[in-house]
Amino acid sequence: MFKFIAKRILQMIPILIVVTIVVFMFVHLIPGNPARIVAGPEADQATVERIEAKLGLDKPIVEQYFVYVGNLVKGDFGNSLKTNEPILEEMKTRFMPTFWLTVWSMIFAFVVGIGIGILSAMRRNSFWDYFGMFAAVVGISIPSFWLGLILMQWFSVQLGWFPTTGLDSWKGYVLPSITLGVGVAAIIARFTRSALIDVLKEDYIRTGRAKGFSEWKIMMRQALKNAMVPVVTMTGLQFGFLLGGSVVIETVFGFPGLGSWLIDAVTNRDYPVIQAEILLFSLEFLLINLAVDVIYGFLNPQIRYDD
Amino acid sequence: MKNMRFSFLLLIVALLTVVLAACGGSSDSNSSNESKSEGKKAGKDLTIAVNQNFVTLDPQDSNNTLDNSVQKTMMEGLVAFDENMKVVPKLATDYKVNKDATEFTFTLREDVKFHDGEAFNAEAVKTNFERVSDESKGLKRYSLFSNIEKIDAVDEYTVKFTLKNSFASMINNFAHPAAIIQSPKSLSSGDDVSRKPVGTGPYVFESWDSSDIIKVKKNADYWGDAPAADTLTFKPVVENGSRTAMLQTGEADFAYPIPTEQIDALKKADIDIENSDSIVMNYLSMNVSKKPFDDPKVREAINYAINKDDLIKVVYADYAKKATSVIAEKTQFYAAQAEQPYDVEKAKALLKEAGLEDGFSTKIWATNTTNYIKAMEFIQQSLAQVNIDVKVEPMENGALADALWAVEDEKDAKVELYFGGWSPSTGEADWGIRPLFAKDSFPPNSYNISYYSNSDVDKGLEKALQTSDEEERQSIYTAVQKTIWEDQPWVPISNPDNIFGKKSNLDGIFLLPDGSLNLEKLAIN
Repeated sequence: MFKFIAKRILQMIPILIVVTIVVFMFVHLIPGNPARIVAGPEADQATVERIEAKLGLDKPIVEQYFVYVGNLVKGDFGNSLKTNEPILEEMKTRFMPTFWLTVWSMIFAFVVGIGIGILSAMRRNSFWDYFGMFAAVVGISIPSFWLGLILMQWFSVQLGWFPTTGLDSWKGYVLPSITLGVGVAAIIARFTRSALIDVLKEDYIRTGRAKGFSEWKIMMRQALKNAMVPVVTMTGLQFGFLLGGSVVIETVFGFPGLGSWLIDAVTNRDYPVIQAEILLFSLEFLLINLAVDVIYGFLNPQIRYDD
Repeated sequence: MKNMRFSFLLLIVALLTVVLAACGGSSDSNSSNESKSEGKKAGKDLTIAVNQNFVTLDPQDSNNTLDNSVQKTMMEGLVAFDENMKVVPKLATDYKVNKDATEFTFTLREDVKFHDGEAFNAEAVKTNFERVSDESKGLKRYSLFSNIEKIDAVDEYTVKFTLKNSFASMINNFAHPAAIIQSPKSLSSGDDVSRKPVGTGPYVFESWDSSDIIKVKKNADYWGDAPAADTLTFKPVVENGSRTAMLQTGEADFAYPIPTEQIDALKKADIDIENSDSIVMNYLSMNVSKKPFDDPKVREAINYAINKDDLIKVVYADYAKKATSVIAEKTQFYAAQAEQPYDVEKAKALLKEAGLEDGFSTKIWATNTTNYIKAMEFIQQSLAQVNIDVKVEPMENGALADALWAVEDEKDAKVELYFGGWSPSTGEADWGIRPLFAKDSFPPNSYNISYYSNSDVDKGLEKALQTSDEEERQSIYTAVQKTIWEDQPWVPISNPDNIFGKKSNLDGIFLLPDGSLNLEKLAIN
């Protein structure tokens, strides 16, 4: 098992190298000159050229890449073109808010999603099933920025329970977490329901029933665990996506995380920031996939690691 | 065995939950300190919600009005703009200009100290301007001061600037936010002035935190009238709906800009919404180097075919003035021009004369914000009436900038129609006209994407800079505006208002025509 994990971690290195090359190329292919954006809307050509030289953007692209990778190996992500501040520092301060936002919205999604999934599967074709699945369709379909603004209107403007924007206290997490979690909860609910329905047809469930276990006990002791494999896969992927920061939600709630930083970086063609963020997201995904694979083993011992 | 594995998994989940709860808890207690100061707001702590993240607090290295607004709470210039964009004294009590507009001499206030205790004097001024006019420093506002040849501290409180060439508009450059003065000690200490500026202003820098919130506090030793607020908190909230919600909940005392769609809702919620004139010029540019826009008749026809009053209703909800020149009314040396009415029949007749009665196809570019897209669609529909088929092509800002300004040769320019905006941050005619209409301003040098050139305009612009005689300058700029107005490389459209919202207990807080915030007359009731 540890051999398996070590091997997987080593395999990440070439992947990350490829990521740096691809991201670097793509970022430089986007039309738009960062120096022009840094220089501002009133700048003349001479100013733009001066800034280009100052930022090292006048050098050949291959040279720029090797400078970038050279610094990266030393643990230096470079400085933001826009603010000239070190990226690593900014990334540290912005990672935690996004991380906690992800955790809270996943907890919300997991509890609500699995709850609805179980209810729907146990009372199949009942009112609760239809209601649960209707709620799930609505949850997936609602545009998140709209939901965010509506929640803000209810809970901040009308009721005054939570702040509209910012992160001055734990309250700042509530609305963005729910907004972000609703869509994921809906997906989890549907996955849980369909996986449970399949599992509930299995022989061992019938055996359980024959033994006289209650439906609840069967659900908790046997069915749910076996139905979790697809749910965990999907949850892992969603976790990865959210950990990248939600561009829309973070913008709506003025949330100081990675997502709002990324959109700002793209708008400003802040190459080093975009590169650093994508590299971080890639790493996060690789680690999450690894974690998901490890969890499979616990859920279904038939899945073995190829040491 | 199976059970053991499951228990192990449960244990991990339980552990994780405990860790999360603990961290969650610690982050709560962490921030509860902050929320105490934030939650129990005394009346004198103001929160100002704005629409962009901050970039830098170094005025000489800033290129946007928002950063300037924050900087101006902490730092001041020798002269400044008043609410009509007139240049008024600030840290200087008086200034003199020689006839050729090559020497600018300022007499300084003697009762001013920087926040770090340093004295404000001629040497301090000299240090500041030597920094920004040094090309090797690579500061973004170098171009405003590149014309300075030398700076002399004549005596303790007199400083003289000598320019390389006559430049009568220079006094406006001194009133520009980029010319506000920082403590010479802070500039030489190696401290990062872009994150932590030191000036002479009514407020002192306090913090710039990881959420990008900037706080300043009252300067108890301020030389002028005591500032009204104890602290000011600037909070960037990019999303329009969220920013206006902050006004409704009272989390913000002042917010700008306010999108026109939200004005009614806010008025109902008892928020003061105010609007003021800006110097922003919105225009439809035509590339006169391209067919059929090289024909003045076609340009005139397009001008006749667009109903500007209706456009202003549709796009700006009436929060804009109709353009009456190629620069806005609050720009110095503005001169009103004869109005060209909306007249579709005349437009058709002109196109017929130009041999284009069956119309033609073209495309319009603009940035992809809601208002600009609306404006492009309005223009598209207007021109459809005269058989001109316009394809609307909204573009992302960076891509648009490349397509417009990065063109090396006139012949490679792909722009035909362009709906754009220009705000001359120096507040005077030269910067409102030269970058957009001078022959030397063809891309990539500057912003003349109409590729318009008229030697009368070029000569006038040169001449107006060589004299400090205000009347003479006015008459030159009046003639220049008339020439451009009649040549019609643009359809000048509108001057949109600055719109801001505030709590009703605030007075004397407003936006200057250049879009920057003015708090000098702030009163909290």
